[in-house]
Amino acid sequence: MTGRREERWIVFALLLPALVLYGACFIWPTGVLLSRSVTEAGELSLVNYRELLETPLYLGVIWTTLRISVVTTVVCLVIGYPVAMLMERAGPRARILLLLAVTVPYWLDYIVRTYSWMVLLGRYGFVNQVLMWLGLVDVPYSHLSSELAVLVGTIQVMLPLMILALFAAMTRIDRTLMDAAAAHGASAWRAFRTVYLPLSMPGVIAGALLTFVNTVGFYITPALLGGPRQTMISQSIETLAAKLFDWPMAATVSVVLLVISLAILVVFNRFFGLERLAGGDR
Amino acid sequence: MISRTEARVLWFCATVALFYLLFPVVVVMTVSFSSSKFLDFPPPGYSLQWYRALLDEGWLSSYWITFQVGTLTALFSTLVGVPAAFALARYDFPFRRSFEALLLAAIIVPPIIKAISLYLFFAPIGLANTVLGLVLGHTVTGVPYVVINLLATLKGYDRDLERAAQAHGATPLQAIRTVTLPVLAPSVLVGAVFAFLQSAQELLVALFLLGTVEKPLAVRMWEGVRISLSPTIAAASGTLVVLALAALAVVALALRSRRRAPA
Repeated sequence: MTGRREERWIVFALLLPALVLYGACFIWPTGVLLSRSVTEAGELSLVNYRELLETPLYLGVIWTTLRISVVTTVVCLVIGYPVAMLMERAGPRARILLLLAVTVPYWLDYIVRTYSWMVLLGRYGFVNQVLMWLGLVDVPYSHLSSELAVLVGTIQVMLPLMILALFAAMTRIDRTLMDAAAAHGASAWRAFRTVYLPLSMPGVIAGALLTFVNTVGFYITPALLGGPRQTMISQSIETLAAKLFDWPMAATVSVVLLVISLAILVVFNRFFGLERLAGGDR
Repeated sequence: MISRTEARVLWFCATVALFYLLFPVVVVMTVSFSSSKFLDFPPPGYSLQWYRALLDEGWLSSYWITFQVGTLTALFSTLVGVPAAFALARYDFPFRRSFEALLLAAIIVPPIIKAISLYLFFAPIGLANTVLGLVLGHTVTGVPYVVINLLATLKGYDRDLERAAQAHGATPLQAIRTVTLPVLAPSVLVGAVFAFLQSAQELLVALFLLGTVEKPLAVRMWEGVRISLSPTIAAASGTLVVLALAALAVVALALRSRRRAPA
């Protein structure tokens, strides 16, 4: 058996590559970014944070981001729950088919999925053709650059993540409990409400946290489907850094996003830990 | 048992949800084979013109860059992630929870923050606008995938196999190399596939760290989508659908062999 001292060296050696990588390429750069937010002309200063709080534009962007993230999370939960439940209760064949139907879009590039919404929602797109055929719209107009477009695209992108998180938790539910409830005279709805739903709560919480944190930092879909009024935090950071070269403000807005993300991380880590991400979140 | 009405309600909801999920993918695939010059859906006829356009417009260099970056990212993520997974599965050490939280943070921290912080750090030391810089950036996100996928298998792995090998005269390292690693190989492969896939699809880090000198596929598609909705993008999307399906096939095969392995 290895001694205590020797074991410590082994652990250190095993973790060393990860510690070097994360120290150099994750923690240190993030620290550099933070330092840019609290310095002004080389001196410690909170002037950037005052500017953030005094500029309605930034506060509006934060509010838009939180609003879109909450709506996305809630809608994903409502749409995703029955799919996950069916997946858990279906026979092995149907389960594999359903898993496939959810996993393929999950692994597909965000840009590809968003591009297809641009094709569908554009002025001469399929959605307008259908609406005109139904007589609901007379003159075709573009559905793009609207909050509805952002939500339709973002919810579709986040839905598989929610379904997989729910499904993972539901597979841990003891199936016989529902039978027991039915045997004791509970209606299907009552058995669901009093037995199944409470037992699936870990999945609901995990799915909601993951969906929310991914949407809060989401860039691609809101940038492509939204207009200026749907600007989200990631877009505003990108604009500040790449177009306006206002690095101090880019850093300051980044800190806001980082704080929101890390707060959710802390909650997630407390409840679930690393392994609940198995199967992959991206 | 699942009652009939219950089943009907669930199937109805699931059908609507899956249509919403899959219809856009079907649309992109269909449009990519369109014979029209526009993004008509349904298309008037079918042709391979947009896939040919991919070749003519020099997209191959983008595929090549993305392949390079993705492969190196998968390799680096494996080299860093496998030892870390061993440490987490087999030893108890102080700061263990903090280390797990760090891996979680590497996945959860939004890409824009990684992109601009790495850019600020890499630009002065000459790593901005290099393939190596981008690979390091993508490896930060890739490592947790390798660790997560390996951790579950490592914990279920019967260490007596390794001890038996040592009892028969193998050194600890030999035992790991000849007995443990072959059993773990499928899980490592799955992690590496995830690491490759996330690298191939990542936009913002690629945009900031390499986008001004080379055009990885995601950057090229992004610029294409912003300028025009040309069906060439649909053809590029079609190739990415194939990539996702291929990755899924590799993972499915690896998981099957993992179930058969003596674990």
